[in-house]
Amino acid sequence: MLVYTVRRVLGSIPILILASVLTFVLIDVSGDPLTELRMQQPPPDPSVIQLQEERLYLDRSMPERYWLWVTGIGGNGDIGLLQGEFGPSTQSNSYDIGANIAERLGVTLRLVGAAMVFALGLAILAGVVSAMRQYSKLDYTLTFIGFLALAMPVFWFAGIMQQAGVAFNDLVGDQVLATIGDGVYQAQGEDLWGRITNAFAYMTLPTIVLMLTSFASWSRYQRTSMLEVLNSDYVRLARAKGLPNRVVIRRHALRTALIPLTTVVAVGIAGIIDGAVLTERVFQWRGLGEFFITAVEKNDSYALMAWLLLSGVMVILANLIADLLYGVLDPRIRYE
Amino acid sequence: MTTTDHMSNEETVPPGTGDVVLEVRDLSVTFPSDDGPLPAVREVSYVLRRGEALGIVGESGSGKSVTSMAIMGLLPKNARVEGSAKVLGQEIVGLKDAQISKVRGNKIAMIFQDPLTSLNPVYTVGYQIAEAVLAHRKVGKKAAMARALELLELVGIPNPEQRLKQYPHELSGGMRQRVVIAVAMANEPDVIIADEPTTALDVTVQAQVLEALEAARKETGAALVLITHDLGVVAGHVDRIGVMYGGRMVEMGPVEEVFYRPRMPYALGLLGSLPRLDEDRSERLTPIMGTPPSLLALPRGCAFAPRCPMARSVCHEEEPRLLATDENGERVRVPVEDTDAHTAACHFSEELENAQPTDLFKGTAVDADTVEAVDEEERQAEEALAEVGGSSDTADGSGREAILTVRDLVKHFPIRSKGLLKRRIGEVQAVSGISLDLYEHETLALVGESGCGKSTTARLMLQLIKQTSGEIGYKGQALHSMSPRQMRPLRRDLQLVFQDPFASLDPRMTVSDIIAEPMRIHGERNGGAKKRVRELLELVGLNSEHGSRYPHEFSGGQRQRIGIARALALNPKVLILDEPVSALDVSIQAGVINLLEDLQDDLGLSYLFVSHDLSVVKHIADRVAVMYLGKIVETGTTDQLFSAPAHPYTQALISAIPLPDPVKERTRERIVVTGDVPSPANPPSGCRFRTRCPKFADELSENERVKCVEEPPELLDRGTGHQDACHYSRAVELF
Repeated sequence: MLVYTVRRVLGSIPILILASVLTFVLIDVSGDPLTELRMQQPPPDPSVIQLQEERLYLDRSMPERYWLWVTGIGGNGDIGLLQGEFGPSTQSNSYDIGANIAERLGVTLRLVGAAMVFALGLAILAGVVSAMRQYSKLDYTLTFIGFLALAMPVFWFAGIMQQAGVAFNDLVGDQVLATIGDGVYQAQGEDLWGRITNAFAYMTLPTIVLMLTSFASWSRYQRTSMLEVLNSDYVRLARAKGLPNRVVIRRHALRTALIPLTTVVAVGIAGIIDGAVLTERVFQWRGLGEFFITAVEKNDSYALMAWLLLSGVMVILANLIADLLYGVLDPRIRYE
Repeated sequence: MTTTDHMSNEETVPPGTGDVVLEVRDLSVTFPSDDGPLPAVREVSYVLRRGEALGIVGESGSGKSVTSMAIMGLLPKNARVEGSAKVLGQEIVGLKDAQISKVRGNKIAMIFQDPLTSLNPVYTVGYQIAEAVLAHRKVGKKAAMARALELLELVGIPNPEQRLKQYPHELSGGMRQRVVIAVAMANEPDVIIADEPTTALDVTVQAQVLEALEAARKETGAALVLITHDLGVVAGHVDRIGVMYGGRMVEMGPVEEVFYRPRMPYALGLLGSLPRLDEDRSERLTPIMGTPPSLLALPRGCAFAPRCPMARSVCHEEEPRLLATDENGERVRVPVEDTDAHTAACHFSEELENAQPTDLFKGTAVDADTVEAVDEEERQAEEALAEVGGSSDTADGSGREAILTVRDLVKHFPIRSKGLLKRRIGEVQAVSGISLDLYEHETLALVGESGCGKSTTARLMLQLIKQTSGEIGYKGQALHSMSPRQMRPLRRDLQLVFQDPFASLDPRMTVSDIIAEPMRIHGERNGGAKKRVRELLELVGLNSEHGSRYPHEFSGGQRQRIGIARALALNPKVLILDEPVSALDVSIQAGVINLLEDLQDDLGLSYLFVSHDLSVVKHIADRVAVMYLGKIVETGTTDQLFSAPAHPYTQALISAIPLPDPVKERTRERIVVTGDVPSPANPPSGCRFRTRCPKFADELSENERVKCVEEPPELLDRGTGHQDACHYSRAVELF
């Protein structure tokens, strides 16, 4: 298992390097960060432009810039991933991309994490129940909900949920669910119970929105893989041994049916991050989604690179975790 | 092979007393389907006495497995089970999960067909055995593991301590089936139901597993229900036998009675359609016409009547009951508890006294839906032949000439590392230097167990894969050095018939299109193709009107005929037949074998017949080459090889095949090989068979063994009249 773990961890390093190259090249060729400045009327002084170019290291060639971006060697101390610097921002001289992104990451991870946990838990539950009662009314209902959720665009559903939240608050006559904001500011200085109610108020709606698509697709996968396992010979043998039904389901069916889901969830992380951008936008959270949209608007290439690289790292990390989990779940992989 | 003698039961225990461990009465199973209720099992009744072994035989769809699943309560929820099954007097049909799980694995245990999927891949072998112990006994985990170890030893698994901690994928198929047997034995059940326990295994491994099963029975005193399609397997291992057809028990009685004096035409037909090792190969097989009935549209009378040559009007009207025949030839009812009675469900069973299969069934090759017009078809087939250009006269007598030659053929498949670099870290030596000659108008059989390289050899000969080294010549042309483009025109002459008739036909093409496809590829686009397809369909015994149908409308045997017709479309000279009948039921298989023999005679074809089934090979082949781990260990004419096998492997292989004859099977001498086939990635030095060789283990001295370890034996005639690759070969007569 140790060898397997080390091999998987080492295996993700080249992927990480490739991701950084792709990130850099894609952003770098996708536009000039100084377009706005150059288009200004009346045209700014060439020395201003030159100053900006030097500040953003645009006076150097692309390979040089990549090297600089990664190592920071030869820069002004505001660049170099290995030194923990993400590069200068176009938004203002004092805008610290690193500090900003770290703050936003916390906000977003809260949402992504909660959505994943709930989506996964509910998907497994729905999938297992659906499979065990195949072709029952419950199965059909869950199937219908699943496909409905898959067909619903996140931004649209987010809007609906917001309206529903408002309607709910009106009905109860109290501000139970927050429909705007991330609640980070409001939670400051609260005790534990206060934090919990705060989290509930601010997170309920966005979490439902974000988890819906993933829940839908994962529950379908779980249903299929559970059905397959339920019809397998080893589940039959487990029953023939005289194990009671619930032990058969938990120990033999569910345990093995979880293996394929690991991969599906790992791949689904990218989709959740996507969804988070939209969800945050609708609920006006100051998370990574907002950070990304601002960066695009401001043509802030280093901020964009930071965002893209971070997303990439999250996906790679998720896959690494899935791989390791796979090893834990499936002995055939462990000893390959 | 020891078997409980049913005679002892007869003397000591009168029928109907408490020694009955399993009593099944009027058990019926119906599945709902889109086309109405599907009666999979109808009113099956039998009793099983303590320590007794009952064999249940039947072809696919006969309901033999469903019956057992119903007894175990393992059928899907939508199945409707009626009737009764009592284990030690306790009714178990209709029990709730909580109650039946106390019986399952405790009083009645089951062994399934496929050992590769029967064990959960994520738990260790030891855990899965201990789990069975813990389910029924109030013992600690340690004690359960200790019991698991004991059980592994009992079923003959080497290094049990080590195996206990291994996962199923680290064990071979034979080992895994033994683990499943250990699971079944765990709580010393009174009944063990084994559902085709050796069907997925190679013959030499089958013999080992059957032995383990015997050991399990001896140890636990359990009664056995052995379900199988293989009449040979039941012959030597059971006291009584039940034959199922169309969901019903159609014949039941002591094993010798049923084998030697069958009272139901179906049982007689099954015996006649079996190619046998212990009989002369010149005898033609007698297939049963037609196919088993669809359970959705069972005939009103006897389910076998549409295929039965004896059928009269009453057979189509009234379903016969399972009755015995008394000394006056009257059919009389006997109680189910009378385990010595021989009962049959046939209105005319008394007429079958002393009947031979050939009295009833014809050695024909033509299939069911054309039976009515056999003569007409035969005439047409002959005409068709004339047009196809069959050369039935010229093939005989002409000088023997090797048409397809193989010299020192080697194929290694690389094993690559898992990382990014995919380094070559070893190789699987699938074929390690073999030479073969296929003569004109002869059948050469390539025989061996799974993984011996026989199918790889077949594919190499067709150049579907490229050899690592060696030469393949067809009529003097070097196939091994040809480009695919150069090879294409020659492919007309060399055609392939696949093993699986379900996977080898495109389900979205009509039969006509499937058969015409080779002609289309070879540019015969003109109108002649249509006519040719009709000819070919007739040639293989199918109705030429059925060309516009799709493969799923045909049975397995008919599909294999379609596959053969496709292979014949381009008038080939050589057919490579890769296990062409191993996916078919016995009664169907015989028809296809007869067809292949007829086609060879009529069209002057040469066959390379790849098979693991020595009985079929003995029947159809002129010469045989036996392969083991990528090498040919023995080759000779069929008569030489079967009457006087010289290589210990051939001897073991022949002796491992169960004979469908209870007396012969119980008394014959056996040469048993131990263990599993070594990995072809790391074959043993010297003689590759030495690790399993009974001669090496028991007969040879230390000095003699050195030669086996150090020196790979060459394929030579060592005074046995044919070639073998054993340093110490000695021909042995096995029959």
